[in-house]
Amino acid sequence: MHELYIAECIVKSVAASLPMDVPSDSVREIRVQVGQLDAVIPETLLFVFDAIKRNSGLPNANLSVEQIDVVCRCRACNQEFGIELPVFICPQCRSGDVEVLRGRGILLTGITVQNGEEA
Amino acid sequence: MEIRVVRDVLEESNLRAQENRALFDMHGIFAVNIMSSPGSGKTMLLQKTIPALTERGFSCAVIEGDITSTIDSERLQPLGIPVVQANTEPFGGDCHLGSHLVQAALKQLDLSSIDFLFIENIGNLVCPAEFYLGENRRVVVLSLPEGEDKPLKYPLMFRECNLCLLNKMDLAPYLEVDVELMKSNVHKTNGQIAILPISAKTGEGVGEWIAWLLHARGGQS
Repeated sequence: MHELYIAECIVKSVAASLPMDVPSDSVREIRVQVGQLDAVIPETLLFVFDAIKRNSGLPNANLSVEQIDVVCRCRACNQEFGIELPVFICPQCRSGDVEVLRGRGILLTGITVQNGEEA
Repeated sequence: MEIRVVRDVLEESNLRAQENRALFDMHGIFAVNIMSSPGSGKTMLLQKTIPALTERGFSCAVIEGDITSTIDSERLQPLGIPVVQANTEPFGGDCHLGSHLVQAALKQLDLSSIDFLFIENIGNLVCPAEFYLGENRRVVVLSLPEGEDKPLKYPLMFRECNLCLLNKMDLAPYLEVDVELMKSNVHKTNGQIAILPISAKTGEGVGEWIAWLLHARGGQS
């Protein structure tokens, strides 16, 4: 269960991304993209984020998780293709020498904060 | 107000890993992250690997990762090498070693006298694959009793590793496992991964594993 550690990393990333004059409790939404390869269960990530957010200075934040499908490129024939996990074989030339272009990694992609005058 | 950002959530974790790697490079340490399911034979592999490297004149050290207990590091004590136990229980019981824990463990080692550093990760085929620790190579141990299907169920682990050791080959006559299918499934997840059949218990394939380590250390990066 690596979702707790990832939720803690998200909290740190948000803190590092907020301008100095924006208080963390004004954060309303945090958007992340999670690669399908990363085996992160969105429901679990949401659950643990909700569990830690109050003590992490983000009591009013909701997390939004977008899963990103895996897209590969064949190094042998240059074909780009989406794959059904878990077989990483080029559908065109059957080479197993493929690189993952998308669908691996966890990115913070946006933060919505409530402005002072809106509060 | 919208704050637009594209930031790797594991940025801090990766920065710590890069710091670890810089230490390895500075001291000429070749670090190997060994991962697997629980019970696949990582510790016994080290019990066979370290004497073989020691008798060739290399000095070894181990960072032993577990959620709790010192059982594995106690098994390694008779080897007479530095072993640092890294338990995750005080840090929330994570089921993988983080680069910050490796960094803390490195402070307990005399880095100037290590050729090979083995990081025995926590037994788990999911989470450890996610986190770079600064290692030079990643090795997954897959034992025959686990079944042919495991690479297909845990593809990230096999995609992220340089070598798959098929361990417990001595049990092949007693199991209904199809070793060729197991290898084929490993290659379906990663066409570039090397596969070595071994038995840490009987010593079968251990010589090839040592040769792989020495070759990898020679090639570095």
